[in-house]
Amino acid sequence: MTPDRPMTYKTILAIFRRELQSYLTSPLSYLIAGIFWLLGGFFLVAILLGPQGLIAQVAQADQAAQMGMPAPQTLDVAYEFIKAYVGLLGSLSLFILPVLSMGLYAEERKQGTLELLATSPLANWAVALGKLLAVVSFYLGLVLPLMLGESLALGTASPPIRPGVFGLAHLGLLLLAASVLALGMFISSLTESTVLAAIMTFALILLLWLIDTMAQALPGLPGQAVGHLSLLKHFTDFTEGVFNSAGLVLFLSFIVLGVYLTAQSIETLRFQRS
Amino acid sequence: MIEVEHLSKTYGSTTALQDVSFAAESGEILGFLGPNGAGKTTTMRILAGYLPASQGTARVAGYDVHRDAMAVRQRIGYLPESPPLYPGMTVANFLTFVAQIKGVPAGDRQQRVNSSIERCGLGDKRQVLIRKLSKGYKQRVGIAQAIIHDPPVIILDEPTVGLDPRQINEVRQLIKGLAGSHTIILSTHILPEVSMTCDRIAIINRGQIVATDTPVNLTARLAGEGIYEVDLQGNGEQARALLSPLAQVREVALLALEGLPPGHHRLRVRGDNSATLGPEIAATLVQGGLALHQLRRQQASLEDVFLNLTTVDAGEAAPPEVAEGLSVAADDLTHDP
Repeated sequence: MTPDRPMTYKTILAIFRRELQSYLTSPLSYLIAGIFWLLGGFFLVAILLGPQGLIAQVAQADQAAQMGMPAPQTLDVAYEFIKAYVGLLGSLSLFILPVLSMGLYAEERKQGTLELLATSPLANWAVALGKLLAVVSFYLGLVLPLMLGESLALGTASPPIRPGVFGLAHLGLLLLAASVLALGMFISSLTESTVLAAIMTFALILLLWLIDTMAQALPGLPGQAVGHLSLLKHFTDFTEGVFNSAGLVLFLSFIVLGVYLTAQSIETLRFQRS
Repeated sequence: MIEVEHLSKTYGSTTALQDVSFAAESGEILGFLGPNGAGKTTTMRILAGYLPASQGTARVAGYDVHRDAMAVRQRIGYLPESPPLYPGMTVANFLTFVAQIKGVPAGDRQQRVNSSIERCGLGDKRQVLIRKLSKGYKQRVGIAQAIIHDPPVIILDEPTVGLDPRQINEVRQLIKGLAGSHTIILSTHILPEVSMTCDRIAIINRGQIVATDTPVNLTARLAGEGIYEVDLQGNGEQARALLSPLAQVREVALLALEGLPPGHHRLRVRGDNSATLGPEIAATLVQGGLALHQLRRQQASLEDVFLNLTTVDAGEAAPPEVAEGLSVAADDLTHDP
């Protein structure tokens, strides 16, 4: 009997399921989830109810209005909340994403299971895509409960949040995470050490920050040019409810680049193995 | 089914394989025998399409392992040196996953998983996490994943390494049971393994094939020489002087052995493999007035062939003369009857 070549989407699905399962059975994932939810919950409360929080600002504005002074400007609490909170979730995520992506390939290399994948009738890019989808899904699983918290907080907001703003902000968050995870996956494919992969991915994130800072600091055209390449700047646009197609293209390019580089790196590995 | 022609592999300046050629017919078990570091794993990896060869071609089921890598990958089951297992999965989940990525249709998957589990004796370990299995069971899961899609060609790299004798025996029986419907190539550095399981043997040393034949023929090659051990009472040197001039005798050695009674000696006589050598030795010694106690013919074992072929100096790399250098191998060996 000659087995058929598996359909590519089935391959991707199989890899996706196995990878997701490995996240769900790993104690490390639960530790990360715990920390993420704890900090996410803390900041949710802090941004709304903290001494400098949005509610306090609104109260001040109301007081000023009652005393007959003109309010500085009307505060769209729901909008300001989403902008601040999703922006913060983005920063928080940058710390956990390297830990999520570090094992994607490094673990396979260490376990020797890469030899199984490499000798099965699978395309390298399909394996990479399945893995990326799995880790992005896991990340989505981390964000969803916090989104529930946001919805509860926003339920009583007046004026209510526009669904577009809410959706765009979270789409931006997801795209940022997927881009970083794609590059993290590539880095993970370069080494057998998960720790090294995490450190290198974090270094890459520092570089992203540096690019963002440069974009803000550099005057004129160079600043603009660097700004176009800054993932974080485009992410900020999304959190402000501004849809920009250049940002979408940039995020998708980074994701495709990550998958492509990973596939190439696995292919190259065959030639340098000793 | 497997054709390897003039295969070479170099890593930088080191040569792992040099002009390796061999073939395996459909349904046969080919044993790939060699000391550690001889190039066995490299050959297996090239056949599995995991490593590209530097030169030469390898074809599996008619497909070139490099050019038609996908076609080859569909037709092989491969157990690498260390079994590729996900420690956090259960045996059944892992095998289902492998069935998926090997392209077993969804309808057959359950049945294939069950039959692999049964064949490899993993019935009571279905739902156990792989991390919790003993080494022997992990090895079996490794074999189970190699046969899950019922491939025509199975490549097993050191399938019995690290197992206890009972497990080794079970794995050998398993491999034997797979032959016929599958072509199997297995590598090992353990001799009894090939003599017990394989139809043909390729002996590799320092990246080169030094012999390819059936176990019986390989043993026969060594048997081209007759070796006798002689126990006698009297003057050992005299016995040697008597035997050495005989036409059929090539070498006589007086063995220095502890524990023989006083006045007793043991000699080892190497000579032509002929029916008349034994009687001639006996007659000569008796006529010389020596008391002959024992005269034993020694059987050459596969181990002799192996050591003989693989302990030859790397300099003269051409297929060595089987007869030469035997004493190196034979002196410290216990021979199977």
